[in-house]
Amino acid sequence: MRTTILFAAIVTIGLVVGSRAVSAHHAFASEFDANRHVVFTGTVTKMMWVNPHAWIYVDVKKTDGTTEEWMVEAGTPNTLLRRGFTKASLQPGTVIKVDGYQSKDGALRANGRDLTLPDGRTLFLGNAEAGAEGGPGAVKK
Amino acid sequence: MRTRFWRVITPVGFAVMIALIWLLPLAGQAPPPRQPSAFPAYKAPRLNGHPDLNGIWQAFTTANIDLEDHEAQSGPHPELMGAYGGWPAGQSVVEGGEIPYKPEALAKKRQNVANRMKVDVSNDKTWHNLGDPEMKCYMPGIPRATYMPYPFQIVQGSSPYILMAYEFATASRTIRMDWKDEAPTDTWMGWSRGHWEGDTLVVDVTGQREETWFDRAGNYHSDMLHVVERFTPLSPYHLMYEATIEDPKVYTRPWKITIPLYRRMEKNVQLLEYKCVPFTEEMLYGKFKKGAS
Amino acid sequence: MHRWLSSVVVTAFAAVAISSALLIAQTPTATGAKPAAGAKPQATPAKTAAPAKPAAKAWSAPKTPWGDPDLQGVWNDATSTPLQRPNGKGETVGEGDASQFEEQLASDLNRDRRDGGPEIDVNRAYNEHWMDSRRLKITEDRRTSLIVDPPDGRLPPQVQISPERQKIRAERQAAANRFNAGMPLVATELSLPIRCIIRTDSPPYLPTIYNNDFQIYQSPGYVVIAPEMIHSARMIPLDGRPHLGKNLHQWLGDTRGHFEGNTLVIETTNFRTDDGTVYQGANPATYKITERFTRVANDTVNYEFTINDPMTWSKPWTAVVPWTKIDPKEQMYEYMCHEDNFDIVHLLTGARNREKNPSLNLQPAKR
Repeated sequence: MRTTILFAAIVTIGLVVGSRAVSAHHAFASEFDANRHVVFTGTVTKMMWVNPHAWIYVDVKKTDGTTEEWMVEAGTPNTLLRRGFTKASLQPGTVIKVDGYQSKDGALRANGRDLTLPDGRTLFLGNAEAGAEGGPGAVKK
Repeated sequence: MRTRFWRVITPVGFAVMIALIWLLPLAGQAPPPRQPSAFPAYKAPRLNGHPDLNGIWQAFTTANIDLEDHEAQSGPHPELMGAYGGWPAGQSVVEGGEIPYKPEALAKKRQNVANRMKVDVSNDKTWHNLGDPEMKCYMPGIPRATYMPYPFQIVQGSSPYILMAYEFATASRTIRMDWKDEAPTDTWMGWSRGHWEGDTLVVDVTGQREETWFDRAGNYHSDMLHVVERFTPLSPYHLMYEATIEDPKVYTRPWKITIPLYRRMEKNVQLLEYKCVPFTEEMLYGKFKKGAS
Repeated sequence: MHRWLSSVVVTAFAAVAISSALLIAQTPTATGAKPAAGAKPQATPAKTAAPAKPAAKAWSAPKTPWGDPDLQGVWNDATSTPLQRPNGKGETVGEGDASQFEEQLASDLNRDRRDGGPEIDVNRAYNEHWMDSRRLKITEDRRTSLIVDPPDGRLPPQVQISPERQKIRAERQAAANRFNAGMPLVATELSLPIRCIIRTDSPPYLPTIYNNDFQIYQSPGYVVIAPEMIHSARMIPLDGRPHLGKNLHQWLGDTRGHFEGNTLVIETTNFRTDDGTVYQGANPATYKITERFTRVANDTVNYEFTINDPMTWSKPWTAVVPWTKIDPKEQMYEYMCHEDNFDIVHLLTGARNREKNPSLNLQPAKR
């Protein structure tokens, strides 16, 4: 249950850079487990545009043909709104790739550390044309 | 004797005279109560060319218990609360008396009443299914924020925004004046766009979360809710508040509430904090604490 | 290597803890910076936020129709300039070094990088576009710390605190440790931001990873500051009325203001005594904060604050943060919090699940 075959544990080859980026607090780590790195692809069924964190519901097909529903945590939606996205910007049916860390108790939740479209484009940035056409919050860049 | 008679009659006569002067303009109109026209004509002072609505305002009504007619009731847990927990009776603030629910929607409203004091946040997907949002200290939405038994402040200056800040749950909303863009997503206090019609501030509210209620009686709406509010100054001390509520999923036609708002007049009165989150934590999360189950 | 960082970490334990997300950013970055001169804003205008716009001789601060300095609008206070000056840096970086300083800070803050191992990676949490990109720029005057006084750009030393407060701090630290381990006992031991009681709406206003936005409203007799997180509106009467009575305390205190020339000066008292309501676990009973807002250009307000709490710091300290007016189309949006605070239940139920079933606790993979 805690390891689904689909989720290949990925060895992150990281250089431990002695930089100030080192997070002294383990805030996200209080809910999500650094030992449960998960990568999966699934279909969005719903996105909740709420604070303090947006949540994206993703249906993931397993190799045995059954489907698991995952909840993927993301950042504050207000930033996206200011960039011109709206609740229409991520439609149910969109296929996304989630690279993140699973809940510490093994529940089907993960933080969306990297959220991309299957072709590698970053979610929202990559599919900007799908939703935000310079909505009310369009930022000139 | 004679002196005594005059001593009595003079104040009485004076009072009658005042009353006549007050009522004279209405003679023959048989005005319905709570209509703006019940007040003598009033033109509000101007600020930057518009009526000045600045101030701390409050409704004095039991509409937050029930928008419709309601009898006095004990409130929850009278065995603990006694008369402390009692809810007073009140007359309907709904034009025509009743909310025009579709039959199936009325059943949901009744279910809401039955469930108003239940909560269950153990599952994100059913997080909002039970309980009056007020009891959970959730932001009340519009129009409920206006007639809850807490003051709110209107801050109107010379920018395209008017602020309405509410004491309950430190909720607030910005009214964007003459604004075109639609709500980018749904929020608890909604997306308010305003304009002036004469002395009346008209606010169009969309984009409200479907989970808010109108009162403790479970009166509710769907994600199709559209509210048009009208704030009309009646005197230096009164605003008339009208809200027309439209939701084709839930009601057979649009309906309207009318509630006067009173200026808070105490010296140095100010909005205080009513941060009620701490009052709800045991109720919402108590069963998840260590040793609870 | 990070003495400056660790000192912040030690003291930051309660008050700065914004939600999981904010917390992370606040600590490493929010330390920061400052313009030159001292506590007095007038003394430093040229060196503070808008030096790039030289003297703007012709410019005069706009007024409202009723004659007050006009601060209305939506402002953003994001910057990468840290609260405290990194060791070895001067007051400012030279023009030639500025881009390198800025790039280093931006690289440290970058949320798209995946290096450093999973413990670090999990805490970066989300891609850059969820964050405020303005937080990747240093202040225009190229300061190395937001703190301008003491002149070394660093928080003054802490004083010895009473045994009672030490005990409370130790309890808070124990609760924070349980939270960090994902094993909180009860909701009320979580930090105020995680409980959605206070976030970045408690003064002083310091930049964080996102939603660094503030809308200022004005009406005759009032200035109102509405920080995006959490939808509170700070009402500031200008009519000279006294503060609330001494027995009436609030989470966000009680603010009074007046204008000194073009500067809005506000003072806040009557904070609740709950631990964590004032900055960095200072003592609410003796904590005093004075904030000054001066519009120095059409698109810039200098926000300066001075904190004095002799029961916590050996002397007062002052920081200056430039606020930039943002495109009105960019807007502020409602930051609901408590209403959909799913995380708080995830944290508590996760802890209970792991208590019941210790085998859920995974060991770090060998590296």
